[in-house]
Amino acid sequence: MSGNIFPKWVDTIRPVVGAVLLGAPVYILALVYFGFWPTTRVVGHMPKQPVPYSHAVHVGQLGMDCRYCHTTVEKAGFAAIPPTQTCMGCHKQVRAESPKLLPVRESYGSGNPVPWVKVHDLPDFVYFNHSAHVTRGVGCVECHGRVDQMEEVYQAKPLSMAFCLDCHRNPDARLRPPEFVTKMDWTPPGDPAETGRQVRQALQINPSTDCSTCHR
Amino acid sequence: MDRDASHQRDYWRSLEERADTPEFRAFLEEQVSSNPSEWLGPTTRRDFFKLMGASLGMAGLTACRWPEEKILPYTGRPAGRMDGVPSQYATTFELGGNGRGLVVTSYDGRPIKIEGNPLHPENRGGTDALTQATVLEMYDPERSRSVLKSDGRELLSSSWPEFEQFVAAHFAGVRAGEGANFAILAEASSSPTLARLRGRLHESMPGARWFEYEAISRDVERESTGWAFGQPMRVHYRPARARVVVSFDEDLLGTHPAAITNARDLVGARTGEARLDGHGQAETSELRLYVVEPAYTLTGAMADHRLAVLPSEVGRIAAGVALEVATHVASPVFTPSVRAALEARRGSEPLPAIAVAMVADLVRHGGRALVAVGPSQSPAVQAIGHLLNSALGSIGTTVLYTADPEPTRLSHVESIRALREALTTGEIGTLLILGGNPAHDAPVDLDFGAAMARAEVRIRLGLYVDETSELCTWHLPRAHYLESWGDSRAYDGSICAQQPLIEPLFAGRTPIEVIGLVLDEPARKGYDLMRGVWAELMGPEQFEPRWRQALHDGVVTGTGFAPITPALQADALAARMAGAPAAPKADGFELAFLPDLKFYDGRFANNPWLQEMPDPISKLTWDNALLVDPSTASELGVKDGDVLRVTADGRVMDAPVWVQPGQAKRSLAITLGHGRAAAGKIAEGAGFDAFRLRTSNAQFAVAGVQVERAGRSYKLVSTQDHHAIDKVGEKERTSRVHELVREGTVAEFQHHPEFAKHIGPHAFEAPLWNQQAYDGYKWGMAIDLNSCTGCGSCVVACQAENNIPVVGKTQVGKGREMHWIRVDRYFAGNPEEAAIAYQPVTCQHCENAPCEQVCPVAATVHSHEGLNDQVYNRCIGTRYCSNNCPYKVRRFNFFNYHKHLTPLEKMQFNPEVTVRARGVMEKCTYCVQRINSVKIRAKNDQRRVRDGEITPACAQACPTQAIAFGDLNDPESRVRKAQDHPRAYSMLAELFTRPRTVYLARLRNPVDGGAEHGHEGDTPVPQDPHHG
Repeated sequence: MSGNIFPKWVDTIRPVVGAVLLGAPVYILALVYFGFWPTTRVVGHMPKQPVPYSHAVHVGQLGMDCRYCHTTVEKAGFAAIPPTQTCMGCHKQVRAESPKLLPVRESYGSGNPVPWVKVHDLPDFVYFNHSAHVTRGVGCVECHGRVDQMEEVYQAKPLSMAFCLDCHRNPDARLRPPEFVTKMDWTPPGDPAETGRQVRQALQINPSTDCSTCHR
Repeated sequence: MDRDASHQRDYWRSLEERADTPEFRAFLEEQVSSNPSEWLGPTTRRDFFKLMGASLGMAGLTACRWPEEKILPYTGRPAGRMDGVPSQYATTFELGGNGRGLVVTSYDGRPIKIEGNPLHPENRGGTDALTQATVLEMYDPERSRSVLKSDGRELLSSSWPEFEQFVAAHFAGVRAGEGANFAILAEASSSPTLARLRGRLHESMPGARWFEYEAISRDVERESTGWAFGQPMRVHYRPARARVVVSFDEDLLGTHPAAITNARDLVGARTGEARLDGHGQAETSELRLYVVEPAYTLTGAMADHRLAVLPSEVGRIAAGVALEVATHVASPVFTPSVRAALEARRGSEPLPAIAVAMVADLVRHGGRALVAVGPSQSPAVQAIGHLLNSALGSIGTTVLYTADPEPTRLSHVESIRALREALTTGEIGTLLILGGNPAHDAPVDLDFGAAMARAEVRIRLGLYVDETSELCTWHLPRAHYLESWGDSRAYDGSICAQQPLIEPLFAGRTPIEVIGLVLDEPARKGYDLMRGVWAELMGPEQFEPRWRQALHDGVVTGTGFAPITPALQADALAARMAGAPAAPKADGFELAFLPDLKFYDGRFANNPWLQEMPDPISKLTWDNALLVDPSTASELGVKDGDVLRVTADGRVMDAPVWVQPGQAKRSLAITLGHGRAAAGKIAEGAGFDAFRLRTSNAQFAVAGVQVERAGRSYKLVSTQDHHAIDKVGEKERTSRVHELVREGTVAEFQHHPEFAKHIGPHAFEAPLWNQQAYDGYKWGMAIDLNSCTGCGSCVVACQAENNIPVVGKTQVGKGREMHWIRVDRYFAGNPEEAAIAYQPVTCQHCENAPCEQVCPVAATVHSHEGLNDQVYNRCIGTRYCSNNCPYKVRRFNFFNYHKHLTPLEKMQFNPEVTVRARGVMEKCTYCVQRINSVKIRAKNDQRRVRDGEITPACAQACPTQAIAFGDLNDPESRVRKAQDHPRAYSMLAELFTRPRTVYLARLRNPVDGGAEHGHEGDTPVPQDPHHG
């Protein structure tokens, strides 16, 4: 018969097809919604590094300041990753034979850099400047979390546009006197908002929410 | 409104627009066409869905994160180095033997932007377009990458060690023969290091011969000064001290080696030193610029009076002017023999009225007059310039002379001719060619390529495997100047240091390194060779600090040539002049060869930025053309794009016509350097090679040229008619041009300083909603049309700074060029004597921006400092904003123009600026990346941004500082003062857009002081100057 082009067995999978058709929109919406949710994509991102460098040991236990290695953070847009020289300054003596430090020693000998993997990777159309934040009393911990407790560095905050804007619109709660920016466990003496307000007034902080502040 | 009507001169953008030809209407149709197939190109709807399906599928497969990035820190960070913070180094770019001082920005080891060196005597912070574009040349993937060796048929890959072995073996023999059959052909260079090595070469090989050739040369000046003063000299102009400047075919502001400083000084003298400050009272000087030339140059465009005459007529007018001056000025230089020589040259025709006015001005200003005669004129005509300057007492004030650094060298034409003779007679066995491209640009009658083949060993050092390399037995890759150690001397003689910004990308070497190799010097590296010579020159005392200072500054102060006051030897000169009479008038046309403002002699032809930059005069991109004046064109029955067959001295070339208003009647002109055969993929098929008609006897103009129609036409693409709408809109627009580009005269300005504000309709300020207050910074710009020479330096500066794509000829033809700043060129007056008016137009950052009001996705919004922000990530490409922009400054990415760039070319990108993809709108941001970085720095130091700290790329590059930028809330800022200037006006203010960019009206200084003003359609050329 000319009108019947589907074979008989198709009838058996009809309920399955129906269920898929009904379920698909919900599934796709959920997939897109959660798939593009900032937390899904980035928070907890912990790539494998060539050297298992532990911030918990260096910062948490030994009490090194962030700026000992990330020297340019107060002057430049980027918080520089230290040159191999900085590592070798201590590790010529300390654990000089450790196999974990082999890539560092190789780099020191050959002059080729250690290929660290970027953890906090903003999109290329976002221009974030470390110096502009650190000198205004935004603590490292606000964006990077408790790095002093991390064995391996992971991304602790979403670093999404909403995350940035929350603070730019309402900075008081996240400001501290600039001398404490690298202190990971610093807590304001009283009301955080009041401390922040004083810092904001003293440093004339007036965060902009114009598009061109970060996108250009 | 009567003032308004008085300014309504007849402005137009092109002859086609003016005449409203069918072609122009077709062009309009094309501009507003919405045919989807035209937008999409060859891609069909079906292809699109296929691609969409595929990319959706791919989207599911990729991870949720973007690709992992690596951070590669230094192993040992150099002292003072900060990652991600650009650093700047001074260096030198040598062109035609003159060192141009530059400051190059390096971002993490990659040079990305070239600016002028403020300490350099000629650049003074400014640069021209071609110098800035050389950064892209360094990243050109088509540059030669390795040593090549010929096997007799073609060039095969080789290596430096192999070449070094060859040199050791071959040059041992050459040295044994004292270099008797060895010749070197070099491009002009003033490098002290090269000169020293050359001295050593002549010591170790006394028989070796050194030749020097440049296709574009000022050697005529050496000859004419030799005639006049008994020794070859270099002429320097000081327009800053002048009251009247007369140029006989001398492009002081365009192709002169000191064009940047000439332009700065001339503009400064024209508008007063405080041109953007003060409040107008008697701020203008009376500088008047007369230009006599066959084809429009940048200098001609700035002229108060311009006379377009045939190349051969320039001398006649100069002689007539000199004779007239002689009747008013009693000077010992006008001896009877000189008068006789001038009489012989003057001919019988009367002087044009402008020339009579010129004489009166010259006589009145005496020692503050400046007469310049261009290098394209014969020595006899140039000598008239020396006579005039000497008689008027200008030598020592507006014209300075310095001794020629190489008084004994042959002129470039004689030199290449002598080399050709030596080659043909078989005297030369080994020819070493350092740079240059003689196979392309040597005089065609010498047939240099064929002569070269007579030398058995031909070694070529060049940036590209070009026309000359193809004829050589060895090709050596040359290091780009940004990769080189070296030195040079500025036009004024100052010694300039050249230091590399990056290691040679393709193992290139410099001319000094190659000479060092040939000489078997112990030092092989450019650094060691240069340092060795400098140590000899500077002496051992305190060498290290002085060396470091020189590298830091890029120039050694106080090393300029000392001006001398030469005595004119009138009778000797007269004898010379009498011995070189003007050629009798030939039948046919005269064809002038012009140096190209973009490609110079063609060496920059493979540079896409320069190919796409509109020529300042014709606004042609990606081509050159045969420039023909309107009346001759109609006589020949040709229009734009019709191909003419030009026959000169039996040589033939075909080139399309571009009808150029302001071109001398019955003259033709074409720029050199286009149409190269082996320049690379970018230059392939672009333009027409005028060197094919250029002989050693007619280097700058050839008379007796015959033309005939070839019966074909060629598509030329110009940006001058872009952004047209339709016929009604066009008519409306044309009637308003005088309101857009406002001009007046000096007399008018003195009488009524605020004249510019009253041209055009009154702007009613009736806001519909509350206006935003700007309490913090309030960024604004002012562009002084009186200072703008139209050179296009800003266009390339902006392109380099803001990662602006190149779109190609086809896309430019559709009006899709991406330049964020364009220089509008209007003609005024009748087509025969058209005057030029320039207006750079970029985003005006309107406070009431029409674009912002129509964007459906808020992709263009206003910042609290008054910037009109464009947010690429929000933009969905409706292009409503562009439709609603009255200034037509928004640019749309129709394609992913950056897609096909190689990783090498991408190294030039400025990392501070987003690279835009297909489907988004973009436009001038006032260089927001520069604003933000300075703001952050200032805030880190807890202070306000100081005036002058932020300079957008266009303002930085401008040779005449025509663009001021800064904080309008700062009463002391340069831009605030400029915007308060009486000449200031806003373009299209009647639309109540409240633009942040303000223009300052141009002032012309005609002889009759603007008495003509009041008559519609007047040209700026007075009919009878005696009524002044």
